Amino acid sequence: MTDEAGVLLRVSIFGFVAGTIYWFLSYEALGTVALLLLGAGPGFAGLILVQEQRQRGGTGESRADAMRRLAGIPPQDPPGPRDLEADDLGVLPLPTIWPLAASLGVAVLFTGLIYGLWLVILGIGLLGYAAWGWLAAVNRENRYGRIQTDTQAPSPQSGPVSDPNPYPNPPEQDHRSGR
Amino acid sequence: MQPRRRVPASRWLAVAALVLAAAGCTPQSVTEQGQAVWSLYRLFLYIAAVVFVVVSGLVIWSVIRYRRRDDELPTQTHGNNRLELTWTLIPTVIVLALFVFTLRAQDKVLDTSGKPDVNVTVTAFQWSWRFTYVGSGAEIVGSPETIPEMVVPVGQRVRVKLVSADVVHSFYVPQTLFKRQAIPGTDNTFDLTFEKVGLYHGQCTQFCGLQHSDMVFRVRVVSPGEYQSWLAAATRRGQAGKPGT
Amino acid sequence: MATTELPLPALPEAHHEEPAGIVEYLTTVDHKKIGILYIFTSFAIFLAGGVLSLVVRWELARPGLQVLGENTYNQVFTMHGTLMIFLFAAQVSTGLANYMVPLQIGAADVAFPRANAMSYWLYLFGSLIVLSSFFVSGGPAAVAWTAYPPLSTREYFQGTGMDLWIIGLAVVGVAGILGAVNLVTTIFRMRMPGMTMFRLPLFTWGVLVNQLLILFAFPPLTVVFALLFLERNFGAQFFDPTFGGSPILYQHIFWFFGHPEVYIIILPIFGVISEVIPVFSRKPLFGYRAMVFAFFGIAALSFGVWAHHMFTTGLVYLPYFSIMSLLIAVPTGIKVFNWIGTMWRGAITLSTAMLMALGFILVFVVGGITGVMLASPPIDFAVNDTYFLVAHFHYIMVGGLLYGMFAGFYLWFPKFTGRLLSERLGRWHFWTFLVGFNVTFFFQFLVGLDGMPRRIADYQIQRWETANLLSTVGSFLIAVSVVIFIWNFLVSIRRGEPAGDDPWEGNSLEWVTSSPPPSHNFHHLPEIHSERPAFDYRHRDNPAFAGGVHSDPERLDRG
Repeated sequence: MTDEAGVLLRVSIFGFVAGTIYWFLSYEALGTVALLLLGAGPGFAGLILVQEQRQRGGTGESRADAMRRLAGIPPQDPPGPRDLEADDLGVLPLPTIWPLAASLGVAVLFTGLIYGLWLVILGIGLLGYAAWGWLAAVNRENRYGRIQTDTQAPSPQSGPVSDPNPYPNPPEQDHRSGR
Repeated sequence: MQPRRRVPASRWLAVAALVLAAAGCTPQSVTEQGQAVWSLYRLFLYIAAVVFVVVSGLVIWSVIRYRRRDDELPTQTHGNNRLELTWTLIPTVIVLALFVFTLRAQDKVLDTSGKPDVNVTVTAFQWSWRFTYVGSGAEIVGSPETIPEMVVPVGQRVRVKLVSADVVHSFYVPQTLFKRQAIPGTDNTFDLTFEKVGLYHGQCTQFCGLQHSDMVFRVRVVSPGEYQSWLAAATRRGQAGKPGT
Repeated sequence: MATTELPLPALPEAHHEEPAGIVEYLTTVDHKKIGILYIFTSFAIFLAGGVLSLVVRWELARPGLQVLGENTYNQVFTMHGTLMIFLFAAQVSTGLANYMVPLQIGAADVAFPRANAMSYWLYLFGSLIVLSSFFVSGGPAAVAWTAYPPLSTREYFQGTGMDLWIIGLAVVGVAGILGAVNLVTTIFRMRMPGMTMFRLPLFTWGVLVNQLLILFAFPPLTVVFALLFLERNFGAQFFDPTFGGSPILYQHIFWFFGHPEVYIIILPIFGVISEVIPVFSRKPLFGYRAMVFAFFGIAALSFGVWAHHMFTTGLVYLPYFSIMSLLIAVPTGIKVFNWIGTMWRGAITLSTAMLMALGFILVFVVGGITGVMLASPPIDFAVNDTYFLVAHFHYIMVGGLLYGMFAGFYLWFPKFTGRLLSERLGRWHFWTFLVGFNVTFFFQFLVGLDGMPRRIADYQIQRWETANLLSTVGSFLIAVSVVIFIWNFLVSIRRGEPAGDDPWEGNSLEWVTSSPPPSHNFHHLPEIHSERPAFDYRHRDNPAFAGGVHSDPERLDRG
């Protein structure tokens, strides 16, 4: 299984084991429920990841790796969870006011619980407006914002690129002795 | 500018204070139950002192001995399985041992199997205490202005039933090395067997509102004879609102 | 070893010019700017909470109420704890995490950049709601940061300040959960090729575990706040024993959150220390895998110990919580020994960041061993809710947290700004803080052992005065050290020495890119062969380290 699934499932096992032991030692309901939920939550998420991986092919091998293997190309060093593919290099979202507006809506809504229904309604209105603006922005950027890249994944064979940003910068000062 | 090699001030302070503490500037217990706590604390303190000295010694030694002198990279050791296993197992063993000692002391502190000689119901309220001597009419009630005194006989088992009239409080007599919360809706019971005659300061130590810092009381431990005469007089008075004797 | 040129995205046609000035920050979805916003906001709250602590210390320096009435004192220490724990401690690390994690994993941003911005604004607005409680009738809450009922119910605290406290913190809690979803997804899903989980830098591991803790610990807090709010405002009776409720229910749920919270605060700091020490010892982190497992061990155990805050209730099963709390010393000890192992036979440079890391180890060990003492119920019965406890957690929360935070600032300020902080001022900062901090809190251990309770506005026992007076003097010295740091910041941001990409010969990926990084973080990415990509890239021509093989923890001789 993938590392992520492993992490979640181990947390889950801990929650269930600790919860069970705790129940038989103390018969205290709340802590037991809390620990068992700690088991159930990440367990659920971990199982979903395992399921997803099974659908993908079962060995944790990424699609790029499988293609390399089939083409007889020797494997690289272990890649990341996926190689960069065309769909991955979407644009970053443009600057937008909607997260701020939505947060304000939530804050007003919650504060309304103290001061009255009118403020709650105001908060819901603001949150709704912000949600609408947010979704509109997402929609707009999805339609116009995808980049066209060549689909060739970056590989070690492509050789050193002439580096306009030389690294490492030679340090101007000797920082070792710590002035 | 090369910084001078200096032992951080905290290290000397810590060592001096630990020496002082170990030498007895921390309260011993005036109850039988608390003696177990005192010995346990000393055990933890000695182990803690050793750990601190070892760790800070290693840190300071590394800084002195392994300063960078040139551009050569030191050996890039990534780890050492045997060493890491050792410094996992040894602390585990120490911690398990501390747990065993803890259980022993805890049993002594919380033991209420003996038959009590005196039964007092302590009621915590905002912001003072009421001491009701079960089986007699004696009752002491305090206020933030008048500090109530709980009178008990030395050498005898005093069973305290601790209740709260309003919010969560905590009954704490520092020299007993013990405290217990007073929680509304719950009766908390514990025993104290005082071994020394004297007057001991007590205070509420669970934040309980405006005059929490005024919620002081005292425990006056007297000889059994004195206690009996005091109890008789207090029973005769049998009134609320009379602090002390 | 090759670098990979990333095709830069073509921006859509309808693109408007970049916002500038304040609008730039109001609309940003760039994790770097959001990280800076978190750091500045949390630091401002830190200063406010710090002023409150100076007021507390001023009052306590001598017996007798000199400057505050009892109610005001109670409000001051309540808000001090609230600001520091809920609104500063976790968020300053979140700020560092927001900035550094995508850089350390080779990503262009976090998984959900707009939601990331929303997390920050929720944090800001929630904090403002909490702070607004100072301005309503009745003033801010005066129930201690733990707000136990019945004291926090309407019957005992009528003012709206308590409700604003609950609501504000609930909003901040939502921010935390949203941010946690974001960062966990980012770390799981957006690592660059070659960056396997066991090549992640320790800071990112610390953040991952910390965010997982938030994910599971904050919801109970939101629940218990909801229960308290319903009790205060809608007649619920969860905590009222007269109607079958239970005050201890609150304590259980609160501490189920509250104990993981302190690990939420400190785990990223462990990550920072684990970055600083290898860099300034010129050796890899000793026992990388053990450090990762120790993170998980600490986090797992932290969910099993909550009732050690409730030992004195008489209502919890003592042995279970005692053994679990004692066991946390083991993974924590592993970390300390691994840091020492990193330094051992290294080539140590005492930069300010490294000094801060060393200071961290010393004070954290004191905090940790006193924690072990408190894990023993009989000892806890004696010293809980006294100044011994106060000193214990301030050794971690002030000594540990601040040393680690400053270590992170001195390490990463060059990356954020392209300039170095002054090492000379840094040294003044370090030593002033070391002396001030220990003078403030060490004597509190002693006076706590002598029986001085916490949360008292005044005391009448004369022999406690010396320790309190010294503690007050120390606290003002801490304030001086913070002023020195602020001065260092102001001077260096204008006139600091240019730093270049990698002033420290760092190990992790952020040192490969420019200082500050471009908006999409990297122009070029090196290949990843180990947990020290920058080190490998720097030594790519050195036959002893060719191809990074010798520095890969998967394939080396571990003696």
